[in-house]
Amino acid sequence: MAENTIRDVFLEEAKEILRHLETDLIQLEENPNDDVVHRIFRYVHTIKGSAGISGFEDVYGFAHQLENMLDAVRNKQIPITKPLVDLLLESADWIAEAIYESPDFDRQKLLLEKLESYQISCAEGESKLADERRNTVPSAEIRYFRIHLSFRSNIFENGIDPLAIIEDLVSLGSVENMRVHSEKLPPFMEMDPEKCYLEWTILLKAHCPPKKIEEVFLFVKDDNVISIEDVTDDFAVFEGGKIELKERKIGEILVRRGILTEAELDEVLAIQHKTNKKIGDIIIEKGFADEKSVRQALGDQRKIQTRIQATTVRVETKKLDTLLNLLGEIVISQSSIARIADELEEEHGYRLKNALYGMDRITREFQEQIMAIRMIPIGPTFEQFRRFVRDVAVEVGKEIKLEIRGGETELDKTVIEQINDPLKHMIRNAIDHGIESPLERERCGKNRVGTIVLNAYHQEGNVFIEIIDDGRGIDKEAVRRKAIERGIIKGDEELTDRQLQEIIFLPGFSTATSVGELSGRGVGMDVVRTNIEALRGTVEIYSIPGKGTTFRIKLPLTLAIIEGMIVRVGKNVYIIPLLSIVESLQPKKETLKTVEGKGEVILVRDEYVPLVRLYEHFNIAADCVNPWESLVVVVESGKTKIGIMVDDLVGQQQIVIKSLDHFITKSRALSGAAIMGDGTVALIIDVHGLVGEIVSVGD
Amino acid sequence: MNATQKKEAMRENERSAVKQYVTFMIGNEYYGVEVLKVQEIIGMTQIVYVPNSADFMKGVINLRGTVVPVVDMRKRFRMPEREYDMFTVIIIVEVKNRMIGMIVDSVSDVVEMEESEIQETPHFAVKIETDYIRGMGQVDDKLVIILDIDKILSASDLEKMNQDVEEAK
Repeated sequence: MAENTIRDVFLEEAKEILRHLETDLIQLEENPNDDVVHRIFRYVHTIKGSAGISGFEDVYGFAHQLENMLDAVRNKQIPITKPLVDLLLESADWIAEAIYESPDFDRQKLLLEKLESYQISCAEGESKLADERRNTVPSAEIRYFRIHLSFRSNIFENGIDPLAIIEDLVSLGSVENMRVHSEKLPPFMEMDPEKCYLEWTILLKAHCPPKKIEEVFLFVKDDNVISIEDVTDDFAVFEGGKIELKERKIGEILVRRGILTEAELDEVLAIQHKTNKKIGDIIIEKGFADEKSVRQALGDQRKIQTRIQATTVRVETKKLDTLLNLLGEIVISQSSIARIADELEEEHGYRLKNALYGMDRITREFQEQIMAIRMIPIGPTFEQFRRFVRDVAVEVGKEIKLEIRGGETELDKTVIEQINDPLKHMIRNAIDHGIESPLERERCGKNRVGTIVLNAYHQEGNVFIEIIDDGRGIDKEAVRRKAIERGIIKGDEELTDRQLQEIIFLPGFSTATSVGELSGRGVGMDVVRTNIEALRGTVEIYSIPGKGTTFRIKLPLTLAIIEGMIVRVGKNVYIIPLLSIVESLQPKKETLKTVEGKGEVILVRDEYVPLVRLYEHFNIAADCVNPWESLVVVVESGKTKIGIMVDDLVGQQQIVIKSLDHFITKSRALSGAAIMGDGTVALIIDVHGLVGEIVSVGD
Repeated sequence: MNATQKKEAMRENERSAVKQYVTFMIGNEYYGVEVLKVQEIIGMTQIVYVPNSADFMKGVINLRGTVVPVVDMRKRFRMPEREYDMFTVIIIVEVKNRMIGMIVDSVSDVVEMEESEIQETPHFAVKIETDYIRGMGQVDDKLVIILDIDKILSASDLEKMNQDVEEAK
């Protein structure tokens, strides 16, 4: 059981690390610098360690070899080249495979051989250079030393000035803390000015190896008591600036810093035991240290504590879902209380309602907070495509740079998980069909390296994701020809941009002459659209011939709760997502027109909008059958507006979406159900689906 | 049930594969479903009609916060419809991890039957498709038709019927 848990944690952790590793390896190729190398080293090191603990012996062994190689890279013994990155990427792949599938030992052997031969070939050429470097370049690690100096009292007779030594020491780094021990100082009258009575304890922060410190005391260490202690681990400031501090008591901090001696601490603790005073106060009272250093130590202690507290908790998404569902129940109960408040007589009803408003505010805040937990930045999802773009570009012989913008944009975890595949399809599409070959690009006077931009941003309660390429754009004429060929449009018909989009997203549509591994078969784009629509999103294409194409995906921030308008048709209650609603109105009789064969339209602000009689569409009974007696809710999906005819608007409310099993209805116009305050079930209208049904019927 | 009784019951179960069935009536026939498949039995409640669904799909209900579809078994078996009365109940069953309600005329009893007592479906013309019948058993002097609930209410099946409805339109 315990072993499984460790394994599970490792599997989860490794996934994340491997993803970072891959991103950084790509970066290593594009923009090599020490930071990236260090990070890569650390990732491999972590994998090695965790793999060892969780019983992945093969991975452990392999990572160890890889680590050796990376160490050489870190020490600049091996230059960073493309073959190296390729080799490292391949190795990362192997690790992933070995962890999540099964280790392929032939490949492992091959890789290890490659790693070794690469290392040797580099070592031969560079060994001399590296040796020199190793001797001259000090390790860049920051280390902490506690140095205690107790000189012979007659040290001045040898012509050595302790102050000069201390100054030497200080020049090596920075003094974090220094304490002068003056206990041996005799009364003034007895003092011999030519003798050294003082002792020092210095906490030094330096960038040099211990040897360098020792060198300072080369001439005095033999006949004086000099102790140098490497206390780096206590301060645990590692190379990457990662800080791990253990919780410390203030007394210990003072001792570590050399302000207090162990004996003094014992004394202080004894006093504290008796008097129950604060330790800091006792230290000051006793004169062991001045107020300033105590306060500083206190500050440090606080810092340590906050460091320890500011850790994260890994939570299963399922738990968050449960939390959200429970909150949904609260929202439902709240609206049932609101209903009761409506029925109460004035005074109590008023008071109850006021209290409910307060509660409503809290639940909203609560909901936002839970949502915020579920939100994760899209950056990592974008980053993982770097590898994909690189590999595919190589495969098709194109040069492509992937640019990532807005990686910090946050989305619901579920959305992010489900947007991956559509994104992959679209990026593949952009590489295959969008970006031209380097030669063709040069002929057109473009940079031979094509650019694909992944961009994400928030706008008006939605998240937009764009895939922008600077390729050749969509060949409208080719699309038109294909469309005519397939009988989608007539030969003499011109294509509007909207139609163009519709055609591109049709199943089985492709203008490609050759079929690639993924795109070109015409399965891509309709799947893309279906997937995005399943997330209640839309996708649009903007294309300028010769300049490039932009795919813009619009997604809702969250999938679980929406703000809905409750409408009534006869005895049935439906919910229309508020975000889709443009306006609602009571149409005048004269604004209503019937278009031959296309149904009814109403004139809304100089625009003819198709009218949907919901009772007809859903085959239910309604109170009003004349549009001018009923209300019309104008909704928008993509760029299409329709007017939904309903009997009444009941109100506006936050609702928790419950999915409707797909076998219940074939209708695309329904996206789910919600439970209302009175316990009844209301169906949620999928505006996009409804528009789809109407428009397809209309055409 | 006290401890000794429980033990006896368990021993009973071990001796022969005795299973319990919830029996109910549709028309004049008794039907049975395995008790383990049944989540609960509730009285008739408000059903919300779902547009453009198969005709046997009566709609959805709110079962303590969960939206559950309900199927009218009379319509499912292509029997004439009947007004719901005080005996009409909804049997909530679990099929492949989802809950579905069956509207039946009335619920009658929980009976025990040995596996050996259940006979293969005879292949003669019956009102309902024999695929959905696991077998028939005799309890006292009643004939109970044991339904294979996984088949009768499986999603793929319902979906297929939905499509048939669409095409018929």
